[in-house]
Amino acid sequence: MNSFAAPRPLTPARVPLVDRRRHALFTAQVRVLLFGGAFVLLAAAALMRLAWLGVVQPAPSTTSMADALLPIRAELTDRNGVTLARAFPAYALWYNPQALEDGGSPLVKSPQSVAQELAAIFPDMDAQDLAKRLASGKSGYLRRRVLPEDANKVMEIGELALELPRETDRHYPQGQLAAHVLGYVQDGQGYVGMEAALNDRLANPAQRGQPVALSIDSRVQGALEDELNRGMRMVDAVGAAGVVLDVHTGEVMAMASLPEFDPNHMDQEGQSRVFNKVTNQVYELGSTFKPLTVAAALDAGVITDLSRRWQANRPLAMGRFRIKDTKVYGATLNAPQAMIHSSNIVTAQIADEVGPARMKQVMGNLGFNERPYIELPARGFPIWPSGEWPRLRNMTISYGHGIAVTPLHLASAYAAMVNGGVWRPATLLKLPEGEAPRGRRVFKESTSAQMNKILRMIALYGTGRHADAPGFRVGGKTGSAEKPGAGGYRRTTLVSTFASAFPMDDPQYVVIIMYDEPKGTVASSYQRTAAWNAAPTVKRLVPRIGPLLGVYPDETREIDLASVAHLVGKSEK
Amino acid sequence: MTPQAQLRRIGWIALLAVLTGFYLMLHFKVQAVHSEVVRAERRIVSLEQEKLLLATEFETRANQMQLAAWNQVDFGYVAPTAAQFLEGERQLAALGVSGLPGSSPILMAKATVDDMPALPVEADVEDVAGRVLAVAETGEAPRDLRLATATLASSGRVPLAALAGATTE
Repeated sequence: MNSFAAPRPLTPARVPLVDRRRHALFTAQVRVLLFGGAFVLLAAAALMRLAWLGVVQPAPSTTSMADALLPIRAELTDRNGVTLARAFPAYALWYNPQALEDGGSPLVKSPQSVAQELAAIFPDMDAQDLAKRLASGKSGYLRRRVLPEDANKVMEIGELALELPRETDRHYPQGQLAAHVLGYVQDGQGYVGMEAALNDRLANPAQRGQPVALSIDSRVQGALEDELNRGMRMVDAVGAAGVVLDVHTGEVMAMASLPEFDPNHMDQEGQSRVFNKVTNQVYELGSTFKPLTVAAALDAGVITDLSRRWQANRPLAMGRFRIKDTKVYGATLNAPQAMIHSSNIVTAQIADEVGPARMKQVMGNLGFNERPYIELPARGFPIWPSGEWPRLRNMTISYGHGIAVTPLHLASAYAAMVNGGVWRPATLLKLPEGEAPRGRRVFKESTSAQMNKILRMIALYGTGRHADAPGFRVGGKTGSAEKPGAGGYRRTTLVSTFASAFPMDDPQYVVIIMYDEPKGTVASSYQRTAAWNAAPTVKRLVPRIGPLLGVYPDETREIDLASVAHLVGKSEK
Repeated sequence: MTPQAQLRRIGWIALLAVLTGFYLMLHFKVQAVHSEVVRAERRIVSLEQEKLLLATEFETRANQMQLAAWNQVDFGYVAPTAAQFLEGERQLAALGVSGLPGSSPILMAKATVDDMPALPVEADVEDVAGRVLAVAETGEAPRDLRLATATLASSGRVPLAALAGATTE
């Protein structure tokens, strides 16, 4: 190499040799560099792969399963965790004529025989219609929902063209139960009930893994619907409504509006029944308002002595309008007697003394001037006379005419009247144990205690006798209001309501039962009024739901009537 | 290149080959375990879905309306009356006897029943309860409520649940 150290002229023959040598050296260096680089890259790749395996990879594989198990829409359950609505992958029956992929006949057997076999599995399907659809060679759903055992039977037919894809489906295991509370789902959108009210919460990916617990108890709901259905058929009513409300928390334990729809199969008829009679339809609820009037009078100090008497045998003439009773029970009646015999004349006089301003304030405090408080989207606005109430309007409202509210309004008002005087909003969501909204005080506690005695006496001695379920200390008031029609009230078309609470010595639940246009039948002794249809329903219902709700029958207990029984001519029981 | 350098190079290549082999083995093993985990997860998902489907089917078949319909036709159970509830431990203690010999910590409750009325079954239900059918099928004696009551009465010991409002002291 020293030859390069001392510059000297190169002979022309040596020049290419040096050049080649330098070139070879350069190539070797580049190769070593590339080779070394490849090793480094390989080692780095291996290291990164190891790090990937150890640190990153397990995480996505666990979430993949959680993703797969996350329902497309959150479940709705009752207060005890019984499923009321669930999204799950169900089987459908799909006809795929191209399944055999041979261009020939889509079915192995004849369409007729396959149709026969399918009709044997699904008795509600028409074999001839099926045969026609199979023969047509067009793909499509043969059936939207198939039970697993039926799916197995379809597989046994052995036709490849009959496919059973699994599709996500909203299902209501309890069928029509609580249909108006739940609502239904179409194309991922909830309608009518809590499906609509909670739509965003139920479809939210972050929250839909957790079921939503409603306040209703499916057993109580079942009993309520069963008894309402039975009562409705017995008196041939066009509709019925019922609600069971916890008086201390405002939780709705059961709510039913009949006739119901089937959220699993929504059709034209179902659509016509989605109207909720409990929260959306306003009624003049008649005499069930009378206890509220008496409570307002007790609260205002108008009645300081329950033995005070009012005239009861002469109709009150207000201009052309006359307030009268169907039957005269004596020249004078005191307030408890007026409640027991449901006297319009006495109630109107009491309201007159309370005065329109105070009455309006109490009725407003009970929530009658706004839509009912509940999560459901369908809430009816009451017919609430605005402005200053004239004297006559005040008197008719005292016995439930000239004001129209929903049965839920009445339930909340009765809850306030019996629970010690605090009005609370009704809710369909389960509240945590021991928690209840603060509410607002409407009546004094002493008023509430007096009213409990009066309500109990109505069920013991008065129009509510048919509701007195033995051992449950039921108290309540009947109300039979004529429905308004063209040119005034229609005498023979009634809305019969029984508003009650139990047990009256320590009220826990309010039960409202209402029949729309009941007829006089053998079962109701040819009577149309609430004492003969709604009250007996309460008598049958309360023993069924009482023990489920923690209220046990006890014939040795009774609310203390010692101070009031003599007022209605009874010695204490 | 010296022979040592050549040997060293071969050594390095062999080491690389062996390590690559180990790496590939590990890689395949990891892939195998991974695919097994994925398969197990898929199976879990499918079983969970199956379970959900079956649970839903069960709930559908045993819904409140179906139970009420069965009760109306087959069983005829009615709501319990006040006499069917024991109120508090005092009433339960009133039925207590020293049941087992010796000083057993287990307490027994006993009620002597002379003429136990039938359980509160609605009259029109008994006719459609299908007890005669059961005899024809099983060849056993009809399992009548009264028979059960008689057996209970003769043994002198009645489970509290079977008292059904007929508690007599």
